[in-house]
Amino acid sequence: MTLNVDEALRYLGVRSDPDGTLHAQMTAMAEEVAAKHRPRWVWRAFAIDRTEGKLTLTGTMLTLPGHTAERMLADCRQAVLLVCTLGTAFDAWVRAEQARDMRRAVLLDALGSAWVETGCDTAEQEIAARFPGMYLTDRFSPGYGDLPLDVQPELLSAADARRRVGVYDTPSRLMNPQKSVTAVIGIADKPQMARIRGCAYCAMNKTCALRKAGTPCDI
Amino acid sequence: MIFDKQKLIFLDGAMGTMLQRAGLRPGELPELLALTNPALLTDIHRQYIGAGSQIVYANTFGANRRKLAKYGHTVDEVVAAAVGAAKAACVGTDVRVAVDIGPLGELLAPLGTLPFEEAVELFAEIAAAGERAGADLAVIETMTDLYETKAALLAVKESTSLPVMVTMTFEESGRTFTGCTVRSMCRTLEGLGADAIGLNCSLGPKQLLPLLREICENTRLPVIAKPNAGLPDPVDGHYDLTPAEFAAAMEEAVRCGVSIVGGCCGTDPAYIRALHDAVQSMSPGERTYRAVPMVCTPTTPVEITGVRVIGERINPTGKKRFQQALLESDLDYIVDVAIAQEDAGASILDVNVGYPGVDEVTMLPRVVQKLQEATTLPLQLDSTNPDALEAALRVYNGKAAVNSVNGDEKVLSRVLPIVKKYGAAVIGLTLDESGLPATAEERIRIAQRILDATQDCGIPKEDLWIDCLTLTVSAQQEQAEETLKAVCGVTQHLQLTTVLGVSNISFGLPNRLLMAQTFLIRAMSAGLLLPIINPNQKEMMDAVAAHRVLNGEDKGCSAYVERFAQTAEAVTKPAAASAAAMTLDDAIIRGLKADAAKLAKAAMETEPALTLVEKHLIPALDRVGAEYEAGKAFLPQLLSAAQAAQAVFGVIQDSIAGEGGAAVKKDKVIIATVKGDIHDIGKNIVRTVMENYGYDLIDLGRDVPPETIVETAAREKVRLVGLSALMTTTLPAMEETVRLLKAMPEPPAVMVGGAVVTEDYAVQMGADYYARDAKAAVEIARKVFA
Repeated sequence: MTLNVDEALRYLGVRSDPDGTLHAQMTAMAEEVAAKHRPRWVWRAFAIDRTEGKLTLTGTMLTLPGHTAERMLADCRQAVLLVCTLGTAFDAWVRAEQARDMRRAVLLDALGSAWVETGCDTAEQEIAARFPGMYLTDRFSPGYGDLPLDVQPELLSAADARRRVGVYDTPSRLMNPQKSVTAVIGIADKPQMARIRGCAYCAMNKTCALRKAGTPCDI
Repeated sequence: MIFDKQKLIFLDGAMGTMLQRAGLRPGELPELLALTNPALLTDIHRQYIGAGSQIVYANTFGANRRKLAKYGHTVDEVVAAAVGAAKAACVGTDVRVAVDIGPLGELLAPLGTLPFEEAVELFAEIAAAGERAGADLAVIETMTDLYETKAALLAVKESTSLPVMVTMTFEESGRTFTGCTVRSMCRTLEGLGADAIGLNCSLGPKQLLPLLREICENTRLPVIAKPNAGLPDPVDGHYDLTPAEFAAAMEEAVRCGVSIVGGCCGTDPAYIRALHDAVQSMSPGERTYRAVPMVCTPTTPVEITGVRVIGERINPTGKKRFQQALLESDLDYIVDVAIAQEDAGASILDVNVGYPGVDEVTMLPRVVQKLQEATTLPLQLDSTNPDALEAALRVYNGKAAVNSVNGDEKVLSRVLPIVKKYGAAVIGLTLDESGLPATAEERIRIAQRILDATQDCGIPKEDLWIDCLTLTVSAQQEQAEETLKAVCGVTQHLQLTTVLGVSNISFGLPNRLLMAQTFLIRAMSAGLLLPIINPNQKEMMDAVAAHRVLNGEDKGCSAYVERFAQTAEAVTKPAAASAAAMTLDDAIIRGLKADAAKLAKAAMETEPALTLVEKHLIPALDRVGAEYEAGKAFLPQLLSAAQAAQAVFGVIQDSIAGEGGAAVKKDKVIIATVKGDIHDIGKNIVRTVMENYGYDLIDLGRDVPPETIVETAAREKVRLVGLSALMTTTLPAMEETVRLLKAMPEPPAVMVGGAVVTEDYAVQMGADYYARDAKAAVEIARKVFA
């Protein structure tokens, strides 16, 4: 697992770093981040139930409403719920760093975002290995397209994420620890085209600073 | 006492696993079954009793008010039914029923938003309901946050007279999800009065063995192991250990000294039966307790196995700037003082906020909470006010030290029960109501008396640290030797840890540092382990580093070599920088904190502070700001410049405080992240930048109720309020706050910002300005205060 420093720089909105100082500094910090905090994840596979036109995961209380889930899981009879996090200790580190050195804290925060994504990528490889001959859809999360944030509590329960990886949601649907990702991944029996890459599917597309600056993140 | 380290006790296996087999879906509230299907619960308990369980956990794990409210049931109703269902299964046996208390499902502040005392209250309701329903004991389990565990344990102890077992959930790394270490757990929970402690859930018994061993060495209490049946398969949900494999791994745990055994997720009566058959004839292995003096925070246990420095700087005595910070509730300044000491190598921080005009009972706990957000070092609470000590010990996360008691019976009887209740370590000063004795022998006698009193109170010997007291050598020269003799005597004869404030020795003498350093070296040779010093004084820390080499603690001299390798580098650097004849403006633009501070100090000899700010600081920041707006500089550079400016402000403030003048009057701005929102790094960026443009920021923090913002705006007569929201779900709270602010008789200007806020939203909700970023916020402030 390698932390992608370029991605972290992109989250920071840094579009040029002529002498590479920032990159060098971030690389050194990335080593520290990776040494101290490993992303941990839990995933669980469920059969998809489509009775009465509702898309639910069998054996759970989780319903996935809306067109996004319908389209993403169109070719799937099974779906995986993935929850990945850096944990509260990372948050505490960023918080403490804010009192010490705000600039470093901001760099750390961006590195954390990139690191948890790396965790998701690695988990996805682990999932793929458990479904030989099958194809994974892109992972999509509450807040993407029209999948509402309101599914978060049931998603966390279905994946047993509070107990297994210590990921909670707050009453206003924020995830805690902050560097956490919840995602749905469809398991299909035919190849899946990439669907959700690009701004059109991103819930941030109205407000995203990168997009406004004309340099979208390309993920 | 129902627990006995020598005798095995069998707990039950999983309840959730059994309920899922009976058709419960993940996400359904299992506690409601006590009302809808108690017979199912009784049947499961009966199966476990049949398999050999001697304690069964009632199905009350998540029966807290917040979870139950959604379903219209009370805690009492559900807990009584669940305990009743368990007791029904025990009829005719001597099996005991535990009221089971799990995590609240929400993180406590500062990780989350739930206030500590509210958590205590929620837990107390379950525990008290359990006792009323006839439970024989309480069990707190599956905890990952030591702070939440403390809340639960305090709740059980305060609201019931039940014995209580506490188990937490660890990862293979030896930490919980929130970073709590095994040692911090052991000493904190034993200190708080748990009757047995250990692990549950987590992983399989094999992976937990090293952790169980560590627990057995770090507590005197009976140790519990209630692990999972291995790891679940993510595809089919099955756990990977068979009952026989589970039982075999548990045998090893019993050999290590674990005496209370059971199973968690994935285990069923077959596992408990196999466990029972495998270990029932065994006696738990012999245990040796490491009676090491220690204090801790969840992530940082500090064991006093050698010299550990206690930082003395969080103390207003003789420090004008600190006094000013206390009177203005400027806690950020206090945090800075803490961080500087941590970076300089302190292991523990003394915290003293006693000053005329400061209410210690409210200030000490506030400072403790604020410090614990920023530093992981354990704290030593320094106050003569027992109420302040109790208030601070209550909110402290981990095991703290209390500074101090003395040989005076009145002080001992007032303070020791508080120390005992919260499991703190305590410093005993070798003086009493008749003052400080002149001879070492008399001081040792007082130490003995304090030791007796702590023992009577049930405070373990390793938790008492003795301070033999330093007197000023220029005034009472013969006393220096007496203090050293007393340190030696207390260490060798009483076998107690000693602590000593060192700096006092040199009052009134030239070259104070040399005197203090020499005294420190002699005191460490006499056995002093806990010097209370200013760790920012390099010479003092050098002496500690050298001492650690000489006593063999610093293996291979590696820390010593590293320390001085670093200084060699540091010496060469400034020389190179100063060669480049930098201006103050350059230093700020390039974000060079140390240089900016140095240049500011020099500039202040010829220019007044205000000119410095107006002619150099603001223009330099503006230049970086302009580049930022033009997309040529980015957030990291903007913040570097802001921090260099901060260093300049530090110089200005120190100089003003030193002259006894009032601070520069600045325009006040309130900034807050709205109710429900806990992500605040963006707001903090704005704060950093605005502060360094000279605004006086009243930072109300995150998750701030609208009322608090309105009250503060009215009280402080603030003309600009900045609000931040990150999620669409918290926008309504932002709207509500704007509405209330605008309804004030003299409404302040309101600017809003944050990831989901746009210009349009800002207009819609009635805010005056939309602040795209920190730089924009500064421009808005300029307009408002123009």
